[in-house]
Parts: sequence; C-alpha cells; structure tokens
Amino acid sequence: MEEVNLEQSQNQHHAEVIIPEVFSEPISESVFDKFFLEVSSITTFTLRFIKEVIKPPYEFNEVMKQSYLIGYKSFPLVAITGFIIGLVLTIQTRPTLAKFGAESWLPAMVAVSIIREIGPVITALIFAGKVGSGIGAELASMNVSEQIDAMQVSDINPFKYLVVTRVLSATLMLPLLVIFADAVGLLGSFVGVNIKGNVSTYLFFSQIFQTLEFNDLLPAFIKTIFFGFAIGLISSYKGYNSNKGTEGVGKAANTAVVFASLVVFIIDMVAVQITSLLQN
Amino acid sequence: MPENTTYIETENDYKQNSTVVVEMVHLKKSFGNNHVLRDITLVITKGENLAILGQSGTGKSVLIKCIVGLVEIDEGKLFILGKDISELKNKELIEIQKKIGFLFQSGALYDSMTVRENLEFPLRKQLRSIPKEKLDSLIKEALNNVGLYAAIDKSPSELSGGMRKRLGLARTLILKPEIMLYDEPTTGLDPITSKEISHLILEVQRKYNTTSIIITHDIECTRLTANRIIVIKDGVCAAEGTYNDLKKSADPWIRSFFE
Repeated sequence: MEEVNLEQSQNQHHAEVIIPEVFSEPISESVFDKFFLEVSSITTFTLRFIKEVIKPPYEFNEVMKQSYLIGYKSFPLVAITGFIIGLVLTIQTRPTLAKFGAESWLPAMVAVSIIREIGPVITALIFAGKVGSGIGAELASMNVSEQIDAMQVSDINPFKYLVVTRVLSATLMLPLLVIFADAVGLLGSFVGVNIKGNVSTYLFFSQIFQTLEFNDLLPAFIKTIFFGFAIGLISSYKGYNSNKGTEGVGKAANTAVVFASLVVFIIDMVAVQITSLLQN
Repeated sequence: MPENTTYIETENDYKQNSTVVVEMVHLKKSFGNNHVLRDITLVITKGENLAILGQSGTGKSVLIKCIVGLVEIDEGKLFILGKDISELKNKELIEIQKKIGFLFQSGALYDSMTVRENLEFPLRKQLRSIPKEKLDSLIKEALNNVGLYAAIDKSPSELSGGMRKRLGLARTLILKPEIMLYDEPTTGLDPITSKEISHLILEVQRKYNTTSIIITHDIECTRLTANRIIVIKDGVCAAEGTYNDLKKSADPWIRSFFE
C-alpha cells in the first residue's frame, strides 16, 4: 500500500514538473505582478530615503566626497558632449533657417533649444550612463562582497552612508553639470556660427540674452533637480538590491542605466506638460 | 607560538560556572520553500569556542547571520546575552549587536579604503568624538594583534588571502566584541596560513575572553580551535560533542567529516 502511495506521489510530482510554467500562469499576470512589485519596492526605497535623509547623524563628508566623484569628475565628459552638441546643432540648423531667410535667428534658436531641452536631457542621459552605471555596479559589488553586511554588523547604517549620500550628490551635481554643459554648448554654437559667418562674441551672446526669458531658464533648471534625484535613486536602488553573484553586478549596472534613462524621458515629458499648463 | 600549543579545555570545564551567552530554542528559518533551519536548539556559554560543521547549503552561515541580525528568524526564540532579541526595541538591539563581531568568509573589506581606513571607519562611526591619539593607538594595537602593522597604508587589493582574513579579524576586534562569529575563516587558504588563522582565533579567545562560533569545513581548524562541535544535517543538530567524541561516532556520516 505504501509503495502504491509512493508511486502515486512520484507520478504527481512528475506531472507537476512536466507542466510548462507558461500554461499554469498567464504571462500577463506575472508581468503585471513583477511591475507592481517593482513599483512598490521603489516606493518603499524612496520613503526610506526620505526618512533617512531627515534623521541625524548626517554624512556631510561623504556627500562632499561623492559630489567630487560624481560631479567634478564628470565635468570633462559633459564639456566635450556639450560643445559638440552646440556645434552640430548650429551647423545642422543653419541651412533650414537660411531657406526662410532667418539665419540671423540662429544663435537665439540654438540657445533656446540647448537651454530648454537638449542641454538638460543630453546631460542627464550622459550622467545616467556614467554615474548611474557606476553607482549601480559599485553598490552591487559591495553587496556581493558582503561589504554592506559588514557595515550593518559594525553598527553603520549602510543605507544612510551609501544610498543617501549618493542620491543627494546626484541631485546636487546634475543641475550644476547642466548649467556648465549649457554654457559650453553655447560656446560650441558660437564656433559653429563662425564657421560660415563672422559674428562677434558680443553680438552672439547679446542676441541670446535678449531672446531668453526667465520662463526658459527656471523650468529647465528645476527639472534637472528631478533628473538627478531619479538617476541617483534608481541606480542606488538597483545596486543596493542586486542579486548576489557577479551576474548581479552587471545586471544592476545595466538596468540602472536603462531604467534611469527611461525615467529621465518620462520626467521630461511631465515637466513639459506642467510648464506649458502653467504658461497658459 | 609553539605548534602544539593548545588552549582547548574539556567540555565539563565550561559547563561548570558557565554563563549562557547565546541560546537558541526551536529556531526555524526558511527561504520560500527551502526550509534551511528546521529546528535548532543550542546553548553556547561564555568563553566557549563552538565549531559548526555540516555540508554546504545546510544553513550554517544562516545560523550565525540570525545571531548577528542579518537574517530574521521565522520561528523559535533567540536569546543573546540573556535577552530575547524578538522583544528588543531597535536601540536595544543595536546595543546587543555592538557586542557581536563577525568575520566574513570573504573578509568583506572596504575596497575603496586603505588598511588604516578599514579599521578607522567602524571605530569613528561608533565612537564619533574619539581623539586622534586614541584612535591611532587602537588601530596600532589591532594591527599588531594580527601582525599586519607593516601593511597599514596598503589597500586591500594589495593583500594576500591570509592578510585579508587577518585584516577582517582586526576590524572586528577593534570594536571589542564579546561574541565572535567566524564564517569559514580558513576557506581558500593554504594549510600554513590556515593554521596561523586558527592560532589567531585561539589567541583572540584567550586575550579578549570572547565566545566564538566558528563555521568551518576545515577539520584541522576545528581540532585546533573548538571546545565543542555540533554537526548540522537537514536543518537540525545531528550530533554534538568534542572533537574526539565525534571522531569516534557510531554514525559513519559524522565520522566522514573527520577522515
């Protein structure tokens, strides 16, 4: 009798094994489950960040160190890309404006494009690629090598020391990098204008400043704060909650960049809607 | 230290006048459907060196991670220094955790910091207003204890496996723990360095009067360091005794650890 039961149980077990998972659970359900679990997990992570950022002690030294690593070390890359974008945008736009006899509008048009949209978004994407992947990989490798656990057992709050400092630094440094990228972008545009023309520095920049309004500058600046926060938070989240193992490090770095870049576009879309609503 | 020196005392010495430091009562821990710890009941007394043996994946590391608070228990009771940790408030729990040191299998050194900074970091966080002279003397003492003072300005990547383990030990000892948890302290080391680490464990126990729980697969380390051994199988304590007791066990599976 016992043998029969054992056989039945083995058959049942065998039957369970051979049923493909896709038939036992609808795909859409599992995708939705994963999506909502991820959203809930990021929300919890964000709430924990808010709680920890308020609660003393504060890690000022680490914020300064991270700001140096995240911000200062990104200046050369941001400068090169900003310059190239300003230059290329000017060269590409000139023929179209020339068709309408509006070539004299070139500096103003390029400046508005760079300051309102291209400067913040491109800098944020570069920042997500460089800093986001760095934070994701660093925290994930600390997780794999048990350094985060080691902090915890030494009575050091790893969340406050690793996550809060990096998110704050990213939030503070991206707006500064965008301002710098915008300035270098305008310099690139000035070079671009003078490749086929002869415009003085004074004329070029006075035309830009006559065209630019407060409404162009403030929303663009505010959205970069959100870009920086989102990039810092998402990359920290991906690194801090990575799977153990070397595969987890690569995955954390990769998903941090992809997810942060996507969120930059989403924030940009929302910011544009809010700005246009307020302006109307 | 002479090679044959040993501090091992008999089990009876510990049972007399002993103070219970860690007590587990029907402890259970699962990860999903994987029931890692099924029913662990265990008492560890002050000054004892307890080695835990078992096959890989039997929950030995999980057991010590429960003690240090890295893993939450599902069921059962866990008393540390006489206090039921499930009933402690966060602040009280942190105070208890401060008395526990943990040597990670990988050393878990902070790669971005030098040897000095690795020791300075936890110390500065715990004792925020510590004077520099005091800090330097504590670091010097900790590094001298493990024979690493010459490497004070090196980065962890410049250290050998044995040195990394010793640095991990120094970083733990600098906080003066009462309970030391060692997660496979000799794994990946050559026999000579393994023996050095084993002697270091004994020296630490003697010098600081710590209670140690040592997770290991290294029988030589077990022989040198342990006053008592437990063997975990299928999430329960399958056997308990001294090295000599278990070596002569009637169960061939237990004996196979010592062959």
